[in-house]
Amino acid sequence: MTDQLGALTTIFTEFYYWITVVLMFLIHVGFCMYEVGASRYKHHQHTLMKNTMLIPLVTVTWFLFGWWIYWAFPTGPGIAPSIMNESTALITDDSLFSAKFQVATSSIMAVNLGDHINGVFWAAFLLFSWTAASIVSGAIIERITTFAFGILAIAIGSVFWTIDAAWGWHFDGWMLKILGYHDAYASGVIHAIAGGFALGVLMVLGPRIGKFSSSGEPRNIGPRNPWLVTIGLFLIYTGFWGFYAACNIPIFDLGPEYGMEGISYWTATNIYVTPTTLSGITFNFLMSLSGGLLAGYWIAKGDPFWTYSSGLAGIICASAGNDLYHPIQSMIIGMIGVVISYKLHYWVERKFKIDDAVGAVAVHGYAGFIGLVICGFVLNGYPSSGYSVGAMWDGTTYASINPLGMFLGAIIMFFVLGLIPGYIIAKVLHGMGKLRIPREVEIAGLDYEIMETAKSDEKAVATATR
Amino acid sequence: MATVTNWIDHLNKPADQVAGAVYPGAGSSEGLLVILAIIVWVGWHVLTSKSESEELERLARKRHGANDHKSNITDW
Repeated sequence: MTDQLGALTTIFTEFYYWITVVLMFLIHVGFCMYEVGASRYKHHQHTLMKNTMLIPLVTVTWFLFGWWIYWAFPTGPGIAPSIMNESTALITDDSLFSAKFQVATSSIMAVNLGDHINGVFWAAFLLFSWTAASIVSGAIIERITTFAFGILAIAIGSVFWTIDAAWGWHFDGWMLKILGYHDAYASGVIHAIAGGFALGVLMVLGPRIGKFSSSGEPRNIGPRNPWLVTIGLFLIYTGFWGFYAACNIPIFDLGPEYGMEGISYWTATNIYVTPTTLSGITFNFLMSLSGGLLAGYWIAKGDPFWTYSSGLAGIICASAGNDLYHPIQSMIIGMIGVVISYKLHYWVERKFKIDDAVGAVAVHGYAGFIGLVICGFVLNGYPSSGYSVGAMWDGTTYASINPLGMFLGAIIMFFVLGLIPGYIIAKVLHGMGKLRIPREVEIAGLDYEIMETAKSDEKAVATATR
Repeated sequence: MATVTNWIDHLNKPADQVAGAVYPGAGSSEGLLVILAIIVWVGWHVLTSKSESEELERLARKRHGANDHKSNITDW
């Protein structure tokens, strides 16, 4: 930083991402409250611990290798050449955005006066990782072991979502070039993949005892503390503002970036370095939230649990194109996503006996998938990148956004990187006898001994004479 | 319906000459979108009002007492 304007831009950007991290922390607080509120009294503390412990597990692995994956894998490897070095190999060379700088032994993965951005950007992505793992956490409460969840959290939080981010959320990602993939606020790269992963795990894990009658009819195990669920979901909404902000670059001059001689165009950009405005995405965030709430209230006949979740699903469904949609388009897309997700949730529950305790697969997975597909139609013909525009399948240029590319992108997110890995890892854990808690413990409650000890302690205190 | 098909073409001019509205259908679809929003908004009121009335009538027919809800509290 040698001049005041450069310093101001750098420090503003550093502080901007730092604030997004603080805001996004509320997502995790919200998820913890929401899950505890949704679980039964006898499982509360274990449910809380399970979701809390993903923080250190994912953070440490994100520091050790998760962040490296994001920078190393945009080319596949072997699928489309990098625009930086024209190679399809892992990006571990000397180029500016090389993964070689993003390893735990690198000097910029620490306090470094020559770099003001890496740590806050790393943390913003880390908070996305927590969110991905938390989405899975809610679906599987009351019957998974904390050990198994830890492994699954690391897999989705520090491996699979970061691969999809490299492929479909990096400015150099092969999915942009070959498919014309566009997912500005992570309908697919966070939500569809995490929902798909959760579904894969649920297929192996099985339902909670008592969820289905002997004839296979599903029973409702509703939230035990609706107020905790309410506050939790409001906190997730609040944290989502930080999530949206963190998906942007707040101030950037696109003229030199796109090689336009003599042109200076300062703007906020999305993650792909194409222009948008914080003002515009604020319209769209609130209109898609409203669309989701309206549709959820109607389709669930005023059920608070589904109405709140539908607000979230509305945002998630519109997120892929919320950098460009008109606010009314966002609202309607949010409504469509909620109605389809709600119907799909109950259809899958009945048909395949899937017990998704909090509706996470529907709210995140189905809504995210549908959002990607709709985005392909509504944004058909828009460029997926500012660097170049080319044909689908070419790979050396960037394909325009199109319905087929977005549909294939949705398949990659939900099934290839989500459901299939979740299913396989859960199968392995199941084979080791480590996936599910014993039936007797599930019936008695994971917190039985904690509660019993607390009761004896209370009794002793109450009968004390001095 | 794409308003922008190439960002370099769109931005490669002095900043004050760059067309600002970039959403799909900019300049041609706003009126239609507003009409659609009004239809959705009115339709939502009609549908939810109808379903709420049905629900309230169903509840009223059961004639529960003031303390009956206490036997429905679950916490386990």
